Amino acid sequence: MSRQPDFSTSPRPARHPAWGKLAVGAGLVALVLAAGESWRAGQEAGQARARLSGVRREVETASLRLKALDARARGATSALPAAEAPPARIVANLASILPGDTRLERLSIDYARGGALEMQVVARDAASWDRLLDGLSRAPWLREVQSGPEAREAEVRSVVRARWAGGAP
Amino acid sequence: MASLGTRLYLGLDASAVTAAGIGEGLGGRRARGFSRVPLEPGALTPSPSGANLSRGDEAREAIRRCVEGLGGSRVTLVLPDGVARLALVDLPEGADPRDYVLFRLAASLPFPAGEAIVDALPAGGRRVVGAAVRRATVAEYEQAAAGAGLEVERVHLAPLVALAALMRTGSSDTVHAVLGDVALCLAAFRGGAPAVLRSRRRDRSAGEATRLREVATRAAASAGDGAEPVRIVVSGAGAARLRRELGDESAGRGLEGPGEWPDAAEVAWLGGLLS
Repeated sequence: MSRQPDFSTSPRPARHPAWGKLAVGAGLVALVLAAGESWRAGQEAGQARARLSGVRREVETASLRLKALDARARGATSALPAAEAPPARIVANLASILPGDTRLERLSIDYARGGALEMQVVARDAASWDRLLDGLSRAPWLREVQSGPEAREAEVRSVVRARWAGGAP
Repeated sequence: MASLGTRLYLGLDASAVTAAGIGEGLGGRRARGFSRVPLEPGALTPSPSGANLSRGDEAREAIRRCVEGLGGSRVTLVLPDGVARLALVDLPEGADPRDYVLFRLAASLPFPAGEAIVDALPAGGRRVVGAAVRRATVAEYEQAAAGAGLEVERVHLAPLVALAALMRTGSSDTVHAVLGDVALCLAAFRGGAPAVLRSRRRDRSAGEATRLREVATRAAASAGDGAEPVRIVVSGAGAARLRRELGDESAGRGLEGPGEWPDAAEVAWLGGLLS
């Protein structure tokens, strides 16, 4: 039962109007274009994923390199080349500020820890001990001066820790 | 709105051959051209049985002249009122529309049922307007068109084209009279669908308007509307004259062809195609 009945003696398939054919054709073209765009978008997405993966790998590599460089940099700052602070120079500097009634009994220099100094000193009395500490604290070539526990018997014995800062006395 | 394709329709009736190029676009249909060539009386006599084209040469020449200038050689033929038997049929559940329409019409056909070409137009729900036309009659018109150098794509019936348009436009509760040269189709509409359908030969002698009013009143009563006077909407051949005789208060204008061609106004099937 058709929309408008056909009474032909030999019916034939309905001829679709030209605009209908055009619409179907346009639809097919749009479908093909959409499929092409979709395929191209898929390709671009794949390429973008590959690029992202590459960038991530580069970031990881760079991060590892950064960590290594950081470690090396930290190592570089904590270490002190012996050439920059020869023991004789350090001793000479210390001797220049030691009060007369104090003496340096032992000195250790740890170049691997940035020139950490450990000084075992003996002062005749508290006043000379105070002068010693004052001299060490004021010395521009020393930093982080810390005095250890004091043994006050007839004289004051202690260990003073400091870090070599360089420079002339 | 641009037309993207044009179909050529060729209608034949007792008084004339008419042709119209109908542009079909996204905005709907529009007449691109129209032509009408009168026929001498007796050259074509619409009839459900027997010969319709008693002077075939005259009809072929009229067809040839009619389509000249409209372009195209493939046509949809529109057969006139009076060649088919029509009936409003309620289809039982599961019935094939064509088989059931033929079953209902077979007893009233003036030719053997086996010679009928049957089809049906949906009329709302399980109701259809069924039609049966003799194969030899259709062939006669197809051969006339072929003899004029045309290729027939489809064959429509003028009253069904008009009824389809009336249903498509949701016709109000009224009685529509669709007139051909020798026959008329009367349809009482209820709720946008035909409730009663009558098809009969025309008697164009004096008093046709009165007789039309009587048959319309009976059709309206059958459709469940006994109010008087019945409003009749008249389309087709001689519609203007009948409307005048019926009076403006009870007669309305129905399907009309495009106004730019005066001869097209009373071609109901063309008005139906464009509505």
